Amino acid sequence: MKNVPRLLRRFIGILMLSSVLLLLINFGAFALIIIKHSPNISVSPYNIAEETGKALRTFESEYILPEEISHKLEANNAWAFLIDKDTLQVVWETENVPDNTPDAYTLSDIPDLTIGYLDGYPTYMGKAENGIVVLGFPKDSFWKHTRPSWDYHFIANLPYTILKILIINTAIILMIYIIANVKFLKPVKPIINGIQDLSAGKPVHIHEKGLLSEISANINRTSEILQKQQIQLKRKEKARANWIAGVSHDIRTPLSMIMGYAGQLDNSKNLSETEHKKAAVIIRQSNRIKNLINDLNLASKLEYDMQPLVRTQENAISIVRQAVVDFMNMSVDTNYPIEWKTSSNLSACYINIDKNLLKRAIANLIQNSINHNENGCIIYASVDDDENGNCIICIEDNGVGASDELIAQLNNAPHYMVCDTNTTEQRHGLGLLIVKQIINVHNGKVLIDHSKYGGFKVILIIPK
Amino acid sequence: MSDDYLLNKRILLVDDEQELLNMVVSILREAGFCQIATAKTVNEALDLTDKFQPELAILDVMLPDGNGFSLMEKRKGGYPILFLTARGEDEDKFKGFGLGADDYVVKPFLPKELLFRIMAILRRSYKGENPLVTLHGSQIDFSRAEVIKDGENIPLTAKEHDLLTALYRNAGRIVTIDALCEAAWGDNPFGYENSLMAHIRRIREKIEQNPSQPVSLVTVRGLGYKLIVEGR
Repeated sequence: MKNVPRLLRRFIGILMLSSVLLLLINFGAFALIIIKHSPNISVSPYNIAEETGKALRTFESEYILPEEISHKLEANNAWAFLIDKDTLQVVWETENVPDNTPDAYTLSDIPDLTIGYLDGYPTYMGKAENGIVVLGFPKDSFWKHTRPSWDYHFIANLPYTILKILIINTAIILMIYIIANVKFLKPVKPIINGIQDLSAGKPVHIHEKGLLSEISANINRTSEILQKQQIQLKRKEKARANWIAGVSHDIRTPLSMIMGYAGQLDNSKNLSETEHKKAAVIIRQSNRIKNLINDLNLASKLEYDMQPLVRTQENAISIVRQAVVDFMNMSVDTNYPIEWKTSSNLSACYINIDKNLLKRAIANLIQNSINHNENGCIIYASVDDDENGNCIICIEDNGVGASDELIAQLNNAPHYMVCDTNTTEQRHGLGLLIVKQIINVHNGKVLIDHSKYGGFKVILIIPK
Repeated sequence: MSDDYLLNKRILLVDDEQELLNMVVSILREAGFCQIATAKTVNEALDLTDKFQPELAILDVMLPDGNGFSLMEKRKGGYPILFLTARGEDEDKFKGFGLGADDYVVKPFLPKELLFRIMAILRRSYKGENPLVTLHGSQIDFSRAEVIKDGENIPLTAKEHDLLTALYRNAGRIVTIDALCEAAWGDNPFGYENSLMAHIRRIREKIEQNPSQPVSLVTVRGLGYKLIVEGR
């Protein structure tokens, strides 16, 4: 919807520009026509009349008009006569003077001859030696301004008047445009809002009326389809997550018995060394199943946004330390000592995080090191902060590690839930997947790398 | 002699799975507990409560005629409760703790973990009954807040008492620096690490035969401290 005013501005801009352009073109065309139709100065009736007056000479009481002027008069089909200044009688005339022109004039006839017509012939005056030469041109050859007087203020204010007219014109054009467009844009506005809501996944219903009713109806139908799909998808996701939760719940009790009895056997003094080892394997593998169940459940909930996030401001050092200690306290295997590598100068690194989820991520990374190093390894845990305001949590080991290719694959690999066909492709275990999911919901990043201790290294970068 | 008196406590186990009941009973018996009663339903458990007078109840949440939460609300007497359930959701845990449960263990579990949690609850709930905790070179009398070393009674300060209580409750396990600071200085323990070290040093002077080479209160570098109790 933010684009509509911009669109309007653009339309109005184009309109104003085209109006101004049109006006200029019209002025230009008008000027061209004027230039084309205005009489040449040399053949201007005023000039010819003046030239004729000056050229008319008396010789031995005869009037003589030079041949050159006579030709000019003939070329223009003009005729001429001279009114004597004293008698006001016509004392000389050309041969083609119309018959019905008077032979004598009064003083009051002179202004009429100057500004107007003589019997429909446009007439022009020229001063001669003994009077006034009157030139007559064919009827309909010239149009004369007979009352060329204007109100003084009208002429003085003409620029302002033109400007006012222009402004009024512009306003009228704008008004016409806005009225026309408001009518058009009125149904467009809900359509634009509807499309925006559609993209946000909200349900949309637009009133299906007017010029754009067909588009509105299509948007409504699209919204219905999207909503139905969304509901179905959510139902499916929920069913899947509930199914996983149900299965994992049902596995817990039988697994408790396996772990419980295996634990008892492992503590029994009556068993041989080999039998103890077998019991230990059952415990270790049961523990893996337990972790898998927990991970599967959490992974599906995180995947389908069903895990409520309880974010609070927490000291990452305390959380990681607690996660490490919980692991050490519960550990039955002494082959996996954990060393705390956080600088003693750093006692707090506050982040806004779901404490339990971060603990889970750390536990998963420690378990990951254990799972991939059957012969044991030292695990190193550290927390640091960087200059970009991130909290850096690092869990690494001195175990077997991974090749460059594997690390690259793990950094980019899909996981269980998105990899459905290509089973030969390297996939994350659920443990690493959950770590990625947990860190992602906190807008952080997970990097996998070689450890300086020789094994595997996972870095969690969480913004403060 | 330290935690042995706790093994005489009466423990009521409530779970609808007979096999699981058998297993937990065997774990408890093997650990030395001798007074154990089991029930498979809420009603059975309520009937037993009057006769058996449990001193700790281990309850499943989902039971055929109700749930562990309602059973907990109906209990007579303030004996501690430990939930042992397959329901691992945070909201279930919060509900249990909200009702006043002492601990919440999600199945599956290792015998070691269950026993530790049971002992921690019992130690906390019945600490007054045997105030003397025996360490390698001394004894702690929590009720009188003093250490008995070489026949001499050495008083503990309030902070030292708080710290030792937190360590004893988790005897044999690492307690983090943060958890110890919280135990001594409350909810906002940030910045007390140096004070904690000073207190630990003074506690060692009181409980250890050779404070520079501690054997009862050991440091786990960067992480926390562990109290080693004799006979455990």
